[in-house]
Amino acid sequence: MAKIEFKNVGHCYDVSAENKVYALNPFSLTWEDGGRYALLGPSGCGKTTMLNIMSGLITPSDGNVYFDENDITNVITEERNIAQVFQFPVIYNTMTVFDNLAFPLRCRKFDEDKIKTKVHEVAELLNLTEFLNKLTKKLTADQKQLISLGRGLVREDVAAVLMDEPLTVIDPDLKFKLRRKLKEINAKYKTTLIYVTHDQNEAMTFADNIIVMNEGNVVQIGTPKELFEKPKTTFVGYFIGSPAMNIYPCDAVSDDEVSIGGLKLKVNTKLPDSQKSNLKLGIRSEYINVVNKKSENTVEANINLVEDFGNYKLISATNDNIQIKVKVKRESVIPEDKILLEIPPEHCCIYNNEELVE
Amino acid sequence: MNFKHKFVFLMPGLLVLLGILIFPIIFTVRLSFSGWDSFNPGLDFIGIENYIRLFTDDKRFWESFLRLGFLSITTVFLQYIIGFGLALLVWKEIKFKRFFRVLFLIPMMTTPVIMTVIWRTFFHESLGPVNDFFSLFGMAPPWLSHEVLALVTVMIVEVWQWTPFMFLLMLAGLLSLPKEPFLAAAIDGASSIRKFIYVTFPLMAPISIGAIIIRLIEASKIMDTIFVLTSGGPGTSTETSSFYIFIKGLREFQIGYSATLSFTYLIIMIISLTFIAKFLTKIFMKGDAE
Repeated sequence: MAKIEFKNVGHCYDVSAENKVYALNPFSLTWEDGGRYALLGPSGCGKTTMLNIMSGLITPSDGNVYFDENDITNVITEERNIAQVFQFPVIYNTMTVFDNLAFPLRCRKFDEDKIKTKVHEVAELLNLTEFLNKLTKKLTADQKQLISLGRGLVREDVAAVLMDEPLTVIDPDLKFKLRRKLKEINAKYKTTLIYVTHDQNEAMTFADNIIVMNEGNVVQIGTPKELFEKPKTTFVGYFIGSPAMNIYPCDAVSDDEVSIGGLKLKVNTKLPDSQKSNLKLGIRSEYINVVNKKSENTVEANINLVEDFGNYKLISATNDNIQIKVKVKRESVIPEDKILLEIPPEHCCIYNNEELVE
Repeated sequence: MNFKHKFVFLMPGLLVLLGILIFPIIFTVRLSFSGWDSFNPGLDFIGIENYIRLFTDDKRFWESFLRLGFLSITTVFLQYIIGFGLALLVWKEIKFKRFFRVLFLIPMMTTPVIMTVIWRTFFHESLGPVNDFFSLFGMAPPWLSHEVLALVTVMIVEVWQWTPFMFLLMLAGLLSLPKEPFLAAAIDGASSIRKFIYVTFPLMAPISIGAIIIRLIEASKIMDTIFVLTSGGPGTSTETSSFYIFIKGLREFQIGYSATLSFTYLIIMIISLTFIAKFLTKIFMKGDAE
């Protein structure tokens, strides 16, 4: 186990190019020992590049990587003590489950007794004991993925287990079980787990800390709650949450009031004079209330569509040209055409040049 | 519903198939029951006389068949090992990769007959450069006139000519392999030998089987090399089935009997290649078997 530190790490695939294009813009970040992290972002945002830098499959063009204060930027993968689980299960087809799990230990010349104990321990943890003598070919995709994971866990000295969208090939029900298993493993072994995904639900349910990335930049690092309640940029607002955050261009009326078109809304953010232009207001559809009486911060809107998602209903309504999405409980009674909505000032986020005004 | 019209659409294809594939086979079978030769040309019927002759009184055919088996299995095995080895060499990033890839393909691009003539000159016992070299050590091996050495010479030429084909198939296979298993093996700390045994080789198994079978079928037809290099000699020591059938049919004009030989050869080849394919699947794809 180790603390992993990136100092000004960035990567450009073509260093000789005149205008360098970075797949990952230089940044610094520390992954604490034993933490559960998720790297979240759309395809092509640099998640896998970051993961490969950590495992040593890519040497970063800029900056240094440290494992427990040791600079390992130029250390090869084999010597980094990293375990990695790929999107598709990678197993050794010609071997039994036991031999698969024992492989990393045999490569490191452990003695057979020790290997046996360790493999049985990991097999038990992953519920693979009954398959130990079977050929891996015969197992299902999720069992194969467990073996990939198991090969990382048999080594006691791994600095971190890196997972690159490991649950993509697995059924939703099993995904849930496996995520729980990963949490258990993290709690038991205090292994640092770093999980790459583009699925926000997966990230939210798995990690203590989520690193949101976009276009090669780390946009926000925070707990699921922080990302949901106070997205640092409009991108995070759009990307996290289903449906995406309601975001509207707005103008400052006073220090704590903005107007969207003709609609004036109070907000809890104190707007400094320097940040009163190029504003946007964001509000989660979960925080908008349906009310009966007009008061401050209420909006009257025409209902366009009500969608039933099983566990909730999603109302799409318009006021002038402003589209508002509101999430309500399934059993809520929704009027036919017009609806009165309350926008609570404490849940409004104000963005200046796409960044949160705090 | 009336589906009769579908036959009208199928007919042209079926007729062509019948004409070019089925008819020659049926004709060969019919021919094998005839005594057509230069004295009695014509499609008469002599029953299974030819077959009785083949199974009771033709040691030379069975010897040539065994020789062919030995020749094709050993040469294809050597081609596989050398071809795979060369493909592994130019698979990774090395200097002049493109140059080597083209270089290794040159033998395949040459005309077999002409190259065999050149090889025959190489191995010429008194004038060839090979013996110029051996004479430095006071030796002059009779490459083409010694029973065993002649067979070895045929094998050398075959391996030289066809290894590039194996190389090409294996390289194409290697280039199409996924990256992840190699990365995973690197992370697991596997050495290059372990990586080859547990990752490269198993992943290449389906391609290996295909390549070996294709080459075995091709190698069994060996004719031009033998014709030019040794003409089956000395004696019959390098004679293979196809060359023997050629002699019976086109030198001695025993058309009926050579049809018997061809048909028997076809049946044996189908059966033995089926077994070989099964055997290869078993040894190459341990995990897939059962």
